[in-house]
Amino acid sequence: MKKIYIASLALALISSSLHAQDFSKNLASARTSYNSGDLENARFSIQQMMNDLDLLIGKEIMKLLPSKMDALAVNTKNDNVTINSGLAGVLLHRDYGTGDKAVNVEIMSNSPLVSSLNALLSLPFVANSGDGTQKVVKIDGYKSVLQKDVDPDTNKTGYTLQTPLNSSLVTIKIDNTTETDIVRMANTIPMSQIAKMVQ
Amino acid sequence: MNPKPLLVCVAFSLLCLGTQAQGLLGKIKQKAEQAAEKALDKKVDQKTGNTGNTGTDSGSGSSGSSSGSSSGSRPTNKGGGGLVTTPPDVKQNLTDAEAAFKTNGYGQARYALQQAMLGVEMEIGNKILKSLPETVAGLKKQDEADKVTSTGWGWVGLTIEREYLKDDKQLRTMIANNSAWMNAINLYLANGGGYAQQTNGEQNWKQTKVKGYRAVIEYDESTGYKLSVPIGQTSLIIWEGVNFASEQEMIAAASTFDLDGLKKTLGEK
Repeated sequence: MKKIYIASLALALISSSLHAQDFSKNLASARTSYNSGDLENARFSIQQMMNDLDLLIGKEIMKLLPSKMDALAVNTKNDNVTINSGLAGVLLHRDYGTGDKAVNVEIMSNSPLVSSLNALLSLPFVANSGDGTQKVVKIDGYKSVLQKDVDPDTNKTGYTLQTPLNSSLVTIKIDNTTETDIVRMANTIPMSQIAKMVQ
Repeated sequence: MNPKPLLVCVAFSLLCLGTQAQGLLGKIKQKAEQAAEKALDKKVDQKTGNTGNTGTDSGSGSSGSSSGSSSGSRPTNKGGGGLVTTPPDVKQNLTDAEAAFKTNGYGQARYALQQAMLGVEMEIGNKILKSLPETVAGLKKQDEADKVTSTGWGWVGLTIEREYLKDDKQLRTMIANNSAWMNAINLYLANGGGYAQQTNGEQNWKQTKVKGYRAVIEYDESTGYKLSVPIGQTSLIIWEGVNFASEQEMIAAASTFDLDGLKKTLGEK
């Protein structure tokens, strides 16, 4: 087990140093192109650097996420950082546990959903629905929208929690759980630190 | 007879009278204030020699006297330097990005890169504006309408606008780079928009060519001609002609633009 941890740590270090190399290479290329008046190539290199940074930011955020949610261990092989230059920014995925109680965490920078969620959070009488399927809770001090879903087949209750952080969105989805459990698990995610990273 | 209900009734009517009296007092006070304000205005007008608007003010005085006096004391802006529109310094921002990256300040590095991107895109835009013709089909360029817009985000891209005008004839030019609209127009061209061409004389759009580039020309009775030409993979040039006599005149006007040069400047293949 220890060996696996050391190997994955080494792999992470190697890959981040590779991205650092890419960044430096693209920076040098951007400078050379700009100084020689080749603006289009300078622009391309800057775009590449932004992609490199997005990937690095995504990986750094991954490191901030807890390795366990209650007794549910992280499924490292499902960890994923996708960059979609510009439009949707970085999309991070991590999940915990197996079976019918799995935790899904997704973080999307520049999420198009953020503005509508923020609008919802500014209207408490709309955000807190009368039927109890939607309410506003605070996670690490950040207002979040908690939605309850009941599976019509199994009658099991699942929850989705959405926390807007600047222009990014953290979504936690747990099937077969309770409100107390999802709020407790969500509070193990360092939202303030993530907010700083995606600023 | 129990005296209690009687006492309650008397107390109630006294209370009512009291509130009525208060309302009456309030009205008298308001009227007195208005009269005093009017007298004061008259005095001021006499001193300043302004007699024009006293009549109109008296009408609205009862509803807006307090707000009127507060807005009167608020100074209005008479001019200022505006905002500095110099594009961000690319070299400085690249240096800032490098420094932030070295200290693992990835968020800061990204911000600096976005600023550098803005700077580069603004320079590209200005370079393209300089390369565009000064006059097209006898229409002169309108310096004040030259515009370069960049968000530094990439997907919204860079847009460059220029207008040519003489009397009521106008040609608006817009060049978009890395534009999301590209998908729509390329899809149209790739799927042979020409197949949908009609023959009943109500054809408002069709495929055409400008200097060998495939294009789409549209006509609308109220807005005139619109010609769209995709250049390379991610750029698009659109001309909108108002009061152009014919399709041929519109295409001839578009042909005065150096499309190959634009393609090269935009780094397109």
